[in-house]
Amino acid sequence: MKKWRYDSARDLDQAPLDRLRQFPREPDMLVYGLRSLCALIIRGLLHVYNRFEIIGHENLRTNRSLVIVANHCSHLDTLCLLAALPLRKLHRAFPAAASDYFFRSVHRVWAAAVLVNALPFGRDAHVRKSLSLCQELLAKPGTILIIFPEGTRSTTGDVGEFKSGIGALVAGRDVAVVPCFVEGSFRAWPKGRHFPRPKKVRLIVGAPRNYRSRTADKIDIGAIASELRKAVSELRLTNGSH
Amino acid sequence: MSPQTALHDPVFRAYFLVVLVSLMVGGLVLGFLRFVLKKETAAMFRTYWSWILMAGIGLIVVFLGRVATIAGVTLLAIFAFKEFARASGLYRDWWTTGAVYAGIVTVGIASLIPHPRGAEPGTGWYGFFVAVPVFAIALILLIPILRNRARGELQRMSLAIVGFIYIGWMFGHLGFLANARNAYGFVCFIIFATAICDVAAFTFGSIFGRHPLRSEISPNKTWEGAVGSLVVAMILPWLLRFSFPFFGTWQLILTGLIVGIGGQLGDLSISVIKRDIGTKDMAATIPGHGGILDRIDSLIYAAPLFMHMAGYYYPLK
Repeated sequence: MKKWRYDSARDLDQAPLDRLRQFPREPDMLVYGLRSLCALIIRGLLHVYNRFEIIGHENLRTNRSLVIVANHCSHLDTLCLLAALPLRKLHRAFPAAASDYFFRSVHRVWAAAVLVNALPFGRDAHVRKSLSLCQELLAKPGTILIIFPEGTRSTTGDVGEFKSGIGALVAGRDVAVVPCFVEGSFRAWPKGRHFPRPKKVRLIVGAPRNYRSRTADKIDIGAIASELRKAVSELRLTNGSH
Repeated sequence: MSPQTALHDPVFRAYFLVVLVSLMVGGLVLGFLRFVLKKETAAMFRTYWSWILMAGIGLIVVFLGRVATIAGVTLLAIFAFKEFARASGLYRDWWTTGAVYAGIVTVGIASLIPHPRGAEPGTGWYGFFVAVPVFAIALILLIPILRNRARGELQRMSLAIVGFIYIGWMFGHLGFLANARNAYGFVCFIIFATAICDVAAFTFGSIFGRHPLRSEISPNKTWEGAVGSLVVAMILPWLLRFSFPFFGTWQLILTGLIVGIGGQLGDLSISVIKRDIGTKDMAATIPGHGGILDRIDSLIYAAPLFMHMAGYYYPLK
């Protein structure tokens, strides 16, 4: 009789919390089921409570890998961007989340890893490692990376400087970069508040861009970052009137 | 079973004290080892803290009543199966894993609802409960047919059937025991007795252990530990006779054998699985104990054997 080969999960010896902290994680169908269920509930709540609206939805309809770049002033931003994706793509969408904030306390780790499928991103240390992890993910077709290049939630509601890391990630790669603007999330759920308010939130999705012809030198990646910042800010001004 | 009856039930109240006293005795022994004999006990203390947590959760769940007990056992079975599926690699196949989850939930439902035709509520549907494996196995065998696949399916089906029967159904008997007229006595006794026997096997094994019990399966278990545990198991039904005052000598002896031998067989059969897969623990969910499955393994054998033994002599309801 031939021996059976058991393809065990690689993290059997790790405590549950450490299992959630690592990346890539090895979830079973219970996690996928719970995430899909919560996503449905969150979508329903966004639509009812925040009268959520998406403009330019067609810009997200592709099966190729995507980098979604958006402004950031609220936890709602991530939820809105995820709500704009079809449910079947949810488990291939990874919002980059600060590992020093989201991957510390138990409930944040749980929410980040199970609910939003976050990618732990080292914003102070291991930036290079995190970026190469993102690039590995993008190499697989159908990956969706959600990145807030400001690196933190804005406390004024304005779009802050974009870190050049976003440029390094997309320069010279044949990957669609979709600028997005989340409007109203600052009023609905600013940094420091415990619960969101029932204010209207709107997601404006811009046209995809491509930076495959650019080089990854320092000047170019800085330029890409500011171009993307401009693209995101302009979405706010045009207000989806295109 | 309900919070009101639990408050006034002498058996539940007695077990509350018994568990409290056992934990205190355990703590004193560990304290003696640590502070008087100056032994290295960090690992034992970790295990001990987890015991306290588990005892607390267990007492609360049983206190909350029948529905909570059955739901708790079902949840435990789901997470224990999840560990088994992750360790055996079955979790990569959603269809088969999903079928087993559905089967486990069905076991819980069968324990919860009464027979649809004329049975009084709160009795559980015994006939369906015993027949769930028929439907679950049929579902598991149906999946490769539906998906038009054969390659590697025998391994998946086998793993799923073992997982369902062993973790879902056999362990599910613990939940069905909550339907018995003497639910508090049965449920509390079987959980408490298997736990004490596990500790006894470990203690006797560490002190007197010389001869390996099954060297190819679990190198750390010894005959000395097994015999010590069996002796404790034979004494326990008499010590805790208030749990089932209607049991005669013969039933008490059977109970002791089921807990003493059945418990260790459950432990060993999980060890066989772990050994073949090549992992030490199924997971690291409970600090100092390993996975949930490593903790409940003795109940998997003891609970169904005990339920059917008790049901043979005294109708559960």
